[in-house]
Amino acid sequence: MNLRRLAISACLLPWLAGCVNSTVDQMVFNTPGAGIGDASVVILGRRHASDYETEPEFIRCVGNHISSRDKTISVVGEQQFLDALYPWFEPRTAPLRPADLERLLEHRDVAAAFATMQTRYMIWIDGSTVRNDSAGSMTCGIGPGGAGCFGFGTWSNDANYEATIWDFSKRAEVGRISTSASGQSYMPAVVVPIPIIAPVQGTACDSIGDQLLEFLSADY
Amino acid sequence: MSGLMTIGPDRWLAASLLVVLLAGCGTKQVVVQSEFPPPVMNRLPLTIGVWYGEEFANHEFFDEAAGRAETSWLVNTGQAQVQLWDTLLRGMFREVVYMNGRPGPGQMNPVVDAVLVPTVEELQYAIPAHTSVKVYEIWMRYRLQLVTTGGTPIAEWTMPAYGKTPTAFMQSDEGAVRLAAIVALRDAGAHFASTFTRVPAVAQWLDGLPRAGDTARRRGRP
Repeated sequence: MNLRRLAISACLLPWLAGCVNSTVDQMVFNTPGAGIGDASVVILGRRHASDYETEPEFIRCVGNHISSRDKTISVVGEQQFLDALYPWFEPRTAPLRPADLERLLEHRDVAAAFATMQTRYMIWIDGSTVRNDSAGSMTCGIGPGGAGCFGFGTWSNDANYEATIWDFSKRAEVGRISTSASGQSYMPAVVVPIPIIAPVQGTACDSIGDQLLEFLSADY
Repeated sequence: MSGLMTIGPDRWLAASLLVVLLAGCGTKQVVVQSEFPPPVMNRLPLTIGVWYGEEFANHEFFDEAAGRAETSWLVNTGQAQVQLWDTLLRGMFREVVYMNGRPGPGQMNPVVDAVLVPTVEELQYAIPAHTSVKVYEIWMRYRLQLVTTGGTPIAEWTMPAYGKTPTAFMQSDEGAVRLAAIVALRDAGAHFASTFTRVPAVAQWLDGLPRAGDTARRRGRP
């Protein structure tokens, strides 16, 4: 009986998640009607700010979201792209405007690398997920008879990201999407802490990924 | 009565916990190791010599804890420095030659256009516990000397490099500082590659080289 209850609890645990509110704003100038064909797209994080850094795992999440939902879209991995074009996309040297790409193409090898990758769109994502307003307390103890925790903790997470789409062939910005998500997480503990986590970053990833799919995919 | 003390499992557990706690008070050591990509750029038609001093090739930074609540840090970047500069220079210049000794009068070295002598003048680090910002940071200042094989100075300048990495779930302080150091080294490479020909004394030297027809190419213009 106890084992059965434990199994049911284990199955229910992943469904225990906090609520998340998400808002998406989109501004698109020129959508490719028939998708991007054989061309590839690269998603890069902006890392110029001094007090935060666009998380590499968020960039991977958006890339996976797009490539898993439309298998025809080829997404170049961020690190693969940065290594293939080192040192021109490091935080110090990365182009800030589409027109700056012209300067890079003066290097023959850079132009050849772009041609090999057939990069049509370059998507820059800037933002981060931060934790705010944490409250509560929890005490954990360990003794010869066992270990356990008691207490309650809560915190909120806010995610704010902006994606800027550059059309590499036209050297122009063709779209801008921003998303914000916030959610409250809870962690009650009576012997065992039970985390009820609001998937704030995951929701922001799905929101921005869906909007990018509408831009890039012929099927959405 | 036996001369050997019998220790119960609970005491073993307490002793193990004490060892774990004390281990947390020791020096945190980071050995930076990484592969660096070659730079994608038009090579300068120069044969450049390079000399890594002992201190540079084995560069390490030690920050001793100021109090009991703090931890000492030892960050070893020497191996990664040599790896970075080797890869960088091979991608930037037509030929790279290693010097037998520090260029100077009487020192026998292969004939090259100039010799680069990099040194790490300063390294600083910051972790979230110091700054309350959720990023780990590494800042370095290089002193770069470009000299003739005889040791005559051609150019000397300093170059900063900076790297940061965000906090991540289940990532140790050491792992995050190592990543920040790799980002800082990549930044050093990017800074050097993108500004070398614009350093005034270097530009003047390049313009004064006898092969005047090649100057434009030497300065990185396609």
